[in-house]
Amino acid sequence: MNKTTNIRFGVGVASVALLLSACSSKSDNNSQSGTAGGTLYILTAAEQILHLDPQRNYTGEDLAFASGFLNRTLTQYAMTKDNNAASQIQADLATDTGTASDGGKTWEFTLRDGVKWEDGKPVTCADVAYGVSRTFATDVITDGPTYAISLLDIPKADGVSEYPGPYKASAAQQTLFDKAVVCDGNKLTFNLGAPTADFNYAVTLSAFAPVRKDADTGERYDDSVLSNGPYKIASYVKNSKLVLVRNDQWSKDTDPIRPAFPDSIEYVFSIAQPLLTQRLMKDSGKDAMAISPDGVDPTQLAVIFGDAKYTNRRLNDYDPYVRYIAINTKKVPNVKHRQAMLAALNRADLRKIAGGKYAGDDADGVVKPNIGQDYAATGLWDGLLGEAIPDTGNVALAKKLIAESGEKFPNPIVFDYGQSPTADKSASAIVAAMARAGIVVKPNPIEVGAYYGVVLDPAKQGSLSAGGWGPDWSNASTVLPELFTPGGGFNLSQFDDKAFTAESDAAKAIADRVEQAAAWQALNVKAAELALVIPTRFGKEQRIQGSMVQGAYIWGPYGSYPYGALSVSQ
Amino acid sequence: MSETDEVLLSVRNLYVEFATDDGLVSAVNDLSYDLKRGKTLAIVGESGSGKSVSSMALMGLVAGMNAKVSGEVYFDGQQLIGADPESVRKLRGDRMAMIFQDPLSSLHPFFRIGDQLVEAVQVHHDIDKKQAQVRVKAMLERVGIPDVDQRMNEYPHQLSGGMRQRVMIGMSLINNPELLIADEPTTALDVTVQAQILELLKDLQKEFGTAIILITHDLGVVADMADEVVVMYGGSAVEHAPVREIFYEPAMPYTWGLIASIPQISAKNAHLDPIPGNPPSLINLPSGCVFAPRCAFKQLVGDDLCEHERPQLSLISLEHASRCHLTENQRTDIRRARLIGRQK
Amino acid sequence: MLMVFMLTILSIVTFLLFNAVPTDPARLTCGKTCSPATIEANRIRLGLDQPLITQYLEWIKGIFAGRTYGSGTATFNCDAPCLGYSFRNGEQVTDMIVTSLPVTIYLALGAFVLWMVGGISTGIYAARKKGKWQDRAIMGVTLVGYSLPVFFIGILMLIFVVVRWNILPYPSYVGPNVDTLQFLQTMILPWISLAILYAAYYTRLTRSQMLDTMSEDYIRTARAKGLPEKIVLRKHALRAGLTPIVTSAGLDLAGLLGGAVITEYIFGLPGLGRLAIGAVTEYDLPTITATTLVAATFVIVANIVVDLLYAAIDPRVRLQ
Repeated sequence: MNKTTNIRFGVGVASVALLLSACSSKSDNNSQSGTAGGTLYILTAAEQILHLDPQRNYTGEDLAFASGFLNRTLTQYAMTKDNNAASQIQADLATDTGTASDGGKTWEFTLRDGVKWEDGKPVTCADVAYGVSRTFATDVITDGPTYAISLLDIPKADGVSEYPGPYKASAAQQTLFDKAVVCDGNKLTFNLGAPTADFNYAVTLSAFAPVRKDADTGERYDDSVLSNGPYKIASYVKNSKLVLVRNDQWSKDTDPIRPAFPDSIEYVFSIAQPLLTQRLMKDSGKDAMAISPDGVDPTQLAVIFGDAKYTNRRLNDYDPYVRYIAINTKKVPNVKHRQAMLAALNRADLRKIAGGKYAGDDADGVVKPNIGQDYAATGLWDGLLGEAIPDTGNVALAKKLIAESGEKFPNPIVFDYGQSPTADKSASAIVAAMARAGIVVKPNPIEVGAYYGVVLDPAKQGSLSAGGWGPDWSNASTVLPELFTPGGGFNLSQFDDKAFTAESDAAKAIADRVEQAAAWQALNVKAAELALVIPTRFGKEQRIQGSMVQGAYIWGPYGSYPYGALSVSQ
Repeated sequence: MSETDEVLLSVRNLYVEFATDDGLVSAVNDLSYDLKRGKTLAIVGESGSGKSVSSMALMGLVAGMNAKVSGEVYFDGQQLIGADPESVRKLRGDRMAMIFQDPLSSLHPFFRIGDQLVEAVQVHHDIDKKQAQVRVKAMLERVGIPDVDQRMNEYPHQLSGGMRQRVMIGMSLINNPELLIADEPTTALDVTVQAQILELLKDLQKEFGTAIILITHDLGVVADMADEVVVMYGGSAVEHAPVREIFYEPAMPYTWGLIASIPQISAKNAHLDPIPGNPPSLINLPSGCVFAPRCAFKQLVGDDLCEHERPQLSLISLEHASRCHLTENQRTDIRRARLIGRQK
Repeated sequence: MLMVFMLTILSIVTFLLFNAVPTDPARLTCGKTCSPATIEANRIRLGLDQPLITQYLEWIKGIFAGRTYGSGTATFNCDAPCLGYSFRNGEQVTDMIVTSLPVTIYLALGAFVLWMVGGISTGIYAARKKGKWQDRAIMGVTLVGYSLPVFFIGILMLIFVVVRWNILPYPSYVGPNVDTLQFLQTMILPWISLAILYAAYYTRLTRSQMLDTMSEDYIRTARAKGLPEKIVLRKHALRAGLTPIVTSAGLDLAGLLGGAVITEYIFGLPGLGRLAIGAVTEYDLPTITATTLVAATFVIVANIVVDLLYAAIDPRVRLQ
């Protein structure tokens, strides 16, 4: 819903239980039904798509959009309503879903023949390698995921790659990259620094998509990507609209994933709420062929979900994110104190403020059920901390935990949050709930745009920080290590525990996926028990689309529309 | 227009009332007078006596002030009260004009002198700006403005007080009106300038034959200018006489008070005798003589008559009327005893 | 001269205000898994490693002479007048302002004309009918109009005029030279919504100014000259009561030229207000700085214009 948060959360929810059977349960994409032709309209209040540049795109909705229409990747998720099936990767630009060797340190993909850029030139192995190399140019290619840097076997000094990206690499530096990403005809080999069992899932991110060197315009590539998907950019005026038309160089024969039903796509910008929702509700003219990633105007939720006439046009499903309040373990080192805060908080109040039943469900950890087998109930609220904690809190337990801690509670507790009227209300509720257990919370509202800049700076972060996180692909490896190890990119808990980190590293390396899932589940329970965060909500999103739009649902892997599979009736 | 005895303006039983939040204000009560062409009538009184309001009313300038005007005003035979406002507007500034006490605030601060006069010409005469300017220039020269070409392009604040009043006079006389109402024309001016302005008015009156209603509280000015005097108190005329009579044989206590308060340079034993008390409230006027509460002589009248019965404006001689319950003998005795007026 | 001085002070204040904030602008240039080295590289690339005074001078130099960002092969030029480079949008701030400013100017001027004509004529009418039912009705309506928030008026109009009644098509901004009809169809509602708010205020202001000046001696003089009431009102009274109206009008127009955030947002107009608010939510410092500077420049220029207009209206001001 919020497409402009400062930090892009990752995407991907799936059950990887089916990972191993991915090859055997080949889904038949031709079964996707839809009407060919027409124009699909996408309405949004945003002024532009944040990033079309594949290496910079890191927003679930935009990834689903661009990957569905313009930027093909080596592997991609199936476009199906069923979360378990959707979580299975399929060969896209590659002919299969990749072959691991050397215990997961080497991954090999074979490129499909006959895939062309919109200007008719073939998509080559070198194009993929060049695309991947762009991630390293961190001063130009901003906002994108940096898995290429962390995973590829390229030396790093102090966490910084010695390869500076294609724009200013010396010949010697370029050699570093060329050794890690090797092309041999249409065979592409990735040499990784450590065994990575789920690398073929990582390449679903368009950060691993091809970009042709002679078409790369650096910063400007964002507005004029060269397409290898079923559509290409006909015109793009920020604040107005982006028009995609069929790419005549694309062939269905070389693309098993995208049915590409409409003849054109119009992405219309700058339509603010509440007009946007009103238009979709009215469903007249072109708006009957429209979708919107923005979600429903909250004031219309009751109408849309109360009136049967919207039954076939409304969606209410999990978004990719878990909302939580991170506890800074450097400032609240006593685990009993942290647990006391978990017990004291009134989660029901917070959910009510966030929108009641439409806001989502009570969360019991940082891993969300829609990730699949990595999730198991943690029992956090059912006695994990000694007693059950209802969603209104257990004040007696909180007081008891503080008493048991043997230390005075480190009052006052500073609570950082990005300021908005709703967040202000939540902050007041937190202050009130905590006060019941004698915990003094001082709210620290921070301007939304500056929020993550402040809380990710250890010198400025308070004791509690509001946060949200979703996995980058369907493996808790993109959740637990990111949030709770020093090497993680979003360690708002400032947690640095040797045993925990060792366990996390070990889990990452487990080749057996079922065994790995068990390890993540155990680690998730441990994180809950250590009270590193107060999980508050498994978020949900609500959408409405026009009556002529076919095949609309919340696509699990991206928590978005399944753009590539949408069609409009005639 | 030569001097004739023809009556230009005839005011009969004029009443002006204002509806205010505090009640009905009777600003003018039953005022009547005649003004002959080329003559000067002075209306004398304190502020609030109704002297200005009566003149504004006959010009039709109290409209929009929640005023109720009744009675009859004949201007050159034309009844003005209740007449079509448009026909009265056409008279204003053309056949009847007015000048005011403070020339600085009375001239529009944002417009050039010349343009303000040109506007006054053009509103009543269908002539172009050039011709109007010629007329304006001649008039401004006539009222004694030096460097007229330059002054016409200046703004009111750039002129001295005397000059501004000359401009006002010029503007009021530009269309050669038959009636000029001069409302305290010299009050805001220096004494030396006052004399010049009065002199100018007299000259112009002679030249154009204009009848003037001179509204003032200054009996010195009255002596200098007026042919006839109406003394007003509490919205009513309390004495009405030729100017000589007013000074020589004033017939009622309020007029006596006015005359007694003139500082007399020659008088050794000056009776500086201001009238005690305050002007009456015009809301709910007393049923008796309006001046009674301040009158030093009311006990000479029997039966508390002054408190109960309003005296009529009655003739003392052919041209002299006053509103007082005192008898002729009582008045003569008082004047004599107090050295008021001419001593026979 | 004074204006140059004020703009200099303004530029310093604006620059310091946004660049000395306790947030690391370089930290905001890269995503969540950003290494300290990357932040450092971007810091150098954007010149954020320099002392503030150097950064300021470099910024000023950019405005007049253009500047070059970065080093090595990754450099790029930002031609004068360079107001900075928006890392978040990958665009030069000057370009962004140049595209969004005309939209805001059209919006502000259209609404301005509507509310000035509507507000002043209604105000004069109400003053003429003072105390009568027409006056009371106008005062009542303007009180309501004045207290309605602009987003309420805007949304109401959109939902009824566009969604329910289909009188106008959905707003979609295009330049007036691209498609004049669509431009007008898109702008008419924002113009009206903004104008209603301001017209209500100007009606009341004009009325009270008129009533104030109506009791002035020179208005009595104008009537005594035999001027028709219409001329007395429109020429003599209005002219005298104009000064506060002009002051308000100048400052209100300048304020709108700096961006009508809510109106632009509701109607999807890609103006300066949207640019500014987008920059604030994304913490895009160069854009925040530049939009603030542009908006403040409008206010300064408006103040000077208002002063000049004072002199044109009131000769007493001119000569002192």
